[in-house]
Amino acid sequence: MSMTPIVLTEIIRNRLVALTQEMAKTLVRTAFNPLLYEVQDFSVTILSAEAEIWAETPGVIVFSRTFPDAVRAGIRRWQGRFTEGDVMIANDPFETGTHISDTSVYVPIFQAGALVAFCGVAAHWADIGGKNPGGWCPDTTEVYQEGICFKHQKLVAAGVRNEALWDFIADNVRQPEIVRGDLEAQLAACLQGIKGVQSLCGKYGAALVKQSMTQVIADTDRAMRAAISRLPDSEWTAEIRLDFDGIDADGDFLICLKTVIDGDRVKMSLHGSSPTTRGPVNLPAPCSVGILSCVLKGILMPLDPTNDGHFRCIDVALPPNTIVNPSRPAPTDSYGYVVECLTELCFRCFSQLLPDRCPAGSYQLTFLGFARSADAEDPGFIVADSVHGGNGALYNEDGQTLMIPGNGDLPINPVEVLETRYPVRLEQVSLIPGSAGAGKFRGGMGLIREYRVLRGGSYLNFVTENTKSPTARGVDGGEDGRISRMVINPDQPDSSTHTVRFGGYGPVPAGTLFRAESGGGGGWGRAAERDPERVLADLRNELIDEAEALGVYKVAVKRQASGWALDADATARLRRAAG
Amino acid sequence: MGSEPNFRVAVDVGGTFIDFVLLDPLSGEIRIEKEASLPDRLAAQLVKGIGRFSVGLDQVAQLFHGTTVGVNALVQEKGAKVGLITTKGFRDVLEIGRGRRKEIYNWVFRAPKPLVERSMRREVAERLAFDGTVLHPLDLAELDREVDLLLGKDTEAIAITFLHSYANPVHEIAARDRIAARYPTLPVTVSHEVTGEWREYERSSTTVLNAFIQPMVKAYLDGLGARVRAEGYHRPLAIMQSSGGVCSAEIAAEKPIRTLMSGPAGGVIGSKFLCDRMGLKHAICTDVGGTTYDVALIEQGAILERSSTEINERPVLGSLIDIISIGAGGGSIAWLDHRPGLCVGPQSAGAMPGPVCFGKGGVKPTVTDAHVVLGRLDPDYFLGGRMAIDVDAAARAIEDSIAAPLGIDLIAAAEGILAIAETNMANAIRGKTVARGLDPREFVMLAYGGGGGMFACAVAAELEIPTIIVPPAPANFSAWGLLTADYIEDEVRTKVTAFDQNHLEGHLATLASLETTARRAIEGYGFAAAEVELLYRFDLRFRGQEYAITVAVDQPFGEKEAVLSSTRRRFVAAHQQLYGHGDVDADLEIVSLRCRAIGHVAPPEIRAIPEAARQGAKPRRDVHFREAGGFVSCPVMQRASFAPGYQVLGPAIIDEWSTTTVVHPGWQASGDSFGNLVLEPIAQGDKPSCP
Repeated sequence: MSMTPIVLTEIIRNRLVALTQEMAKTLVRTAFNPLLYEVQDFSVTILSAEAEIWAETPGVIVFSRTFPDAVRAGIRRWQGRFTEGDVMIANDPFETGTHISDTSVYVPIFQAGALVAFCGVAAHWADIGGKNPGGWCPDTTEVYQEGICFKHQKLVAAGVRNEALWDFIADNVRQPEIVRGDLEAQLAACLQGIKGVQSLCGKYGAALVKQSMTQVIADTDRAMRAAISRLPDSEWTAEIRLDFDGIDADGDFLICLKTVIDGDRVKMSLHGSSPTTRGPVNLPAPCSVGILSCVLKGILMPLDPTNDGHFRCIDVALPPNTIVNPSRPAPTDSYGYVVECLTELCFRCFSQLLPDRCPAGSYQLTFLGFARSADAEDPGFIVADSVHGGNGALYNEDGQTLMIPGNGDLPINPVEVLETRYPVRLEQVSLIPGSAGAGKFRGGMGLIREYRVLRGGSYLNFVTENTKSPTARGVDGGEDGRISRMVINPDQPDSSTHTVRFGGYGPVPAGTLFRAESGGGGGWGRAAERDPERVLADLRNELIDEAEALGVYKVAVKRQASGWALDADATARLRRAAG
Repeated sequence: MGSEPNFRVAVDVGGTFIDFVLLDPLSGEIRIEKEASLPDRLAAQLVKGIGRFSVGLDQVAQLFHGTTVGVNALVQEKGAKVGLITTKGFRDVLEIGRGRRKEIYNWVFRAPKPLVERSMRREVAERLAFDGTVLHPLDLAELDREVDLLLGKDTEAIAITFLHSYANPVHEIAARDRIAARYPTLPVTVSHEVTGEWREYERSSTTVLNAFIQPMVKAYLDGLGARVRAEGYHRPLAIMQSSGGVCSAEIAAEKPIRTLMSGPAGGVIGSKFLCDRMGLKHAICTDVGGTTYDVALIEQGAILERSSTEINERPVLGSLIDIISIGAGGGSIAWLDHRPGLCVGPQSAGAMPGPVCFGKGGVKPTVTDAHVVLGRLDPDYFLGGRMAIDVDAAARAIEDSIAAPLGIDLIAAAEGILAIAETNMANAIRGKTVARGLDPREFVMLAYGGGGGMFACAVAAELEIPTIIVPPAPANFSAWGLLTADYIEDEVRTKVTAFDQNHLEGHLATLASLETTARRAIEGYGFAAAEVELLYRFDLRFRGQEYAITVAVDQPFGEKEAVLSSTRRRFVAAHQQLYGHGDVDADLEIVSLRCRAIGHVAPPEIRAIPEAARQGAKPRRDVHFREAGGFVSCPVMQRASFAPGYQVLGPAIIDEWSTTTVVHPGWQASGDSFGNLVLEPIAQGDKPSCP
């Protein structure tokens, strides 16, 4: 009596998921770049020989659905002529979906001479040799300005390293030892994936592995469609505007999403979105489709290990030559704003259908970079530091202070690590009182991170968007979260405040203080319906002040020796008057 | 009696039972007892259980204790009201954490709330640079004001974390002393004393968690100490730490965060002791309880350790035995997901209601129910006949919840439940071996805990592990392991600098000061200076990398060139083994220095099972094995028969009080000279037969 097939299928699936986790651990443990080892800006995927997703461990979800597209482009380019021992490299944004800094390394996996699978790692490199150190250029007008481009070259061909290519990379990036270290880490993870898949195929046979995963994918697709079928057929629309593309100050940068629930499928359209922009805020097609697919997966089946079956029930119509479907040579380096906009638009479409699965709006991507290139006097450095912010409130709980939803699991850099590694001192890391959108359940708080630059000659980048048409929108009467901003030299005579992003600001002298403030999350429900005990707790914790308690939440308080106390009668009167 | 006390007693507190082991060092005799684990009267139950040995506490020379009081308080979040004092500008570090969304597609993910709310987190002016330079002195007047404010809010314990205190603890020490002078009885935890490592959120979290459980653990240990003293025990009470060594009750009461693994550590150090005696270098330690499957590793004769863990998603820094715990035990529930696919755990039926077959109200099928349906457990001899087993109820639950919805038969469903649990177990072992470049075929498996012998063959077969050792009284093995524990003190300091000729002098000065602190603590237990063993380790990495590898340094105070080159060689070899690459010439950085001082305790003797009258007529039972193609008649053996050389070929069932070992077809079981049951695949050519 052999193993019941349904059990064997689970065993094979679990083994592949565990294998991607092991690969991710190798990547993190050996990487040289904090974007990988602290911030986890990567994903690890195992795919079928036809580039269907079998298993993944994402750090950020933008790669989940785009990685197979990159591998498919490689299959087309080589017309399937892969050899055992090949290691491929690709970062063309129009194939990988994101920006040129995200470099995919993948390998074909052979068993008894036959191609049985692929595995690979997409990872954000410390530098890709573009216009600005560390990338995320705010003002490029062509992809050619953004860095060196790989289109499925062989880093290793049949087990032999292509040393010329490795040297070429080292000669064209700003921090070659870091980039090379990260590339080795990607390679180590891939080699581990090859061994793991080969061992699984050796044990059960490649045909059975394939058959099992095909079954898992089909079952998952059926479950996704069943979940959609339970929703009423309906049509939802939402739109949002970017402030600025980095080049055209007066342009209109509109993103429109229409979502149609149609039986057991979700049909989305981005028609009506603005034409491809001159500045680098365009989002290539694979990621426009990918992020919408991932958000839907998270709404319907958040905890299920991801496979291709999660992405088959959705159709996305992309109008050509738009901000959500650009063509070469359009710039895409700051693609991330549109990712977050699409995430939020998707929540707006589903929050009435499935309020327990969608948060209110969250802050827009906020981070700060400072860098100086190596020269005769200085070894140079590149810091990219995320300022996490307020996530949207839930229908039954206050919002959190976390990375934005569309970016997945990105931890904040520790102060003690930053100060040890870079010429910087942090003077404050704190929640920003009053930054959250008010509501029955309020949004998460924005954050202050204050950086004192200790070495002169540094250049600064500040990243923000959607200050006019905020992503952090409240739901059901909840208020919007406050927007992000940057204050340079606060409380000094030369102080300046910026709500528009900038790049290459400087060179600034040692001692300059940058205060980055991220936005708050949107609230859920009317503020006047908030439990007065929660208002009191926020007041006690100095997250709101008395004026906000009274004016926004309609809660009257008294100051007593032991702290704030509720004035129940006055509160009842205030709330009656508010209706 | 009047004689010198000489008995040694180990007490391991679990969720359901307190396990006791008594060692008579003169005769070498080991005795075992069990007592119900009642959380609100642990000390009384503990004294009562020792009483069952008919040995007075005045006859006990050493009392070793594995406790779960601290970890339970953390898991249940029942602790003291803590006030946190921290560097000006950083009081929200504890609340912000690392801002991770660990369930990456869960848009409504909720991170754990901070244990100390914002109004209880107070800032004082002070600042150090990353290298320990004082940038701004500590404002003592402000400290006084903030402490008084916290006390006005009914604070029961104070935690202090200042930035970069691992590099220079001067401000934390000044603050601690100031508070102690003003409020001598107020419990205070300072971060550099619980962990000398960097990363302010993780260190703050560790400090706050220590302060949170400290009053409760101290009260428990003080109460227990008073109780056993009243019964005539006047020696130090030794408490198991997460690192696998014991410390005094006083230290455990000051730094209870060190006792989080106090429970499961006993089995691992017992395994290490057994392996040393048997001359085994590589072992996988597997402990199967009701709820979890705990895996630890012995590699090159040393227990694999880690430097941090998490409780309820809150980080804890500090050396501890690297035990990975997955939700796969006897009580793990089998269920169907949406597709529907068969899943097992991590939810457990626990002690109440327990598996369906226990008849205590459980309705969801568990792993134990699958064992019962397949005939692996004797319904008439469970826990020596103390508990009745309802086979029909177990079968009904599996039929209704699993078999019928999947359209498969009952036996296939029960087999499937076990197969899924066994692969989860095998994956946990892979995470510790294959993922680290180690081949499980080079290890032996130690199987203990109530269910150790029930899964061992299947999991070992999956991983091709060639030898399984089931130690004597496997259900009480963790308590027995406590008797093998030594006194251990760990000191660690983060000091990120180049690892080269220019900086070695400074590293060695730091290491010498760590050594002094650790050595003094061990000498405080009554060990002579010459009896203290010292181990030195450095956390190293390639310059530019973030994650470090901990490598042993044999003679750090020897010839400098040799220290540098041998340590480098060891690091590069470890990097290559773990990750497949490693540049022999690249610059290295040191991240942390570690010193461990050990005071060795006389261990128990290990003995074979004596030759006894062989079992006469062996009862037989029908047991299902997939590899046998169905139910087959198996002999049911008694563990006490397994004197050295006694052998049985599978399939067979081996019963003893409180546990059962299942010998699968194709495997054989034999007794060895250490009292173990050894399970091995039958060599090619041997004919499987029933004895």
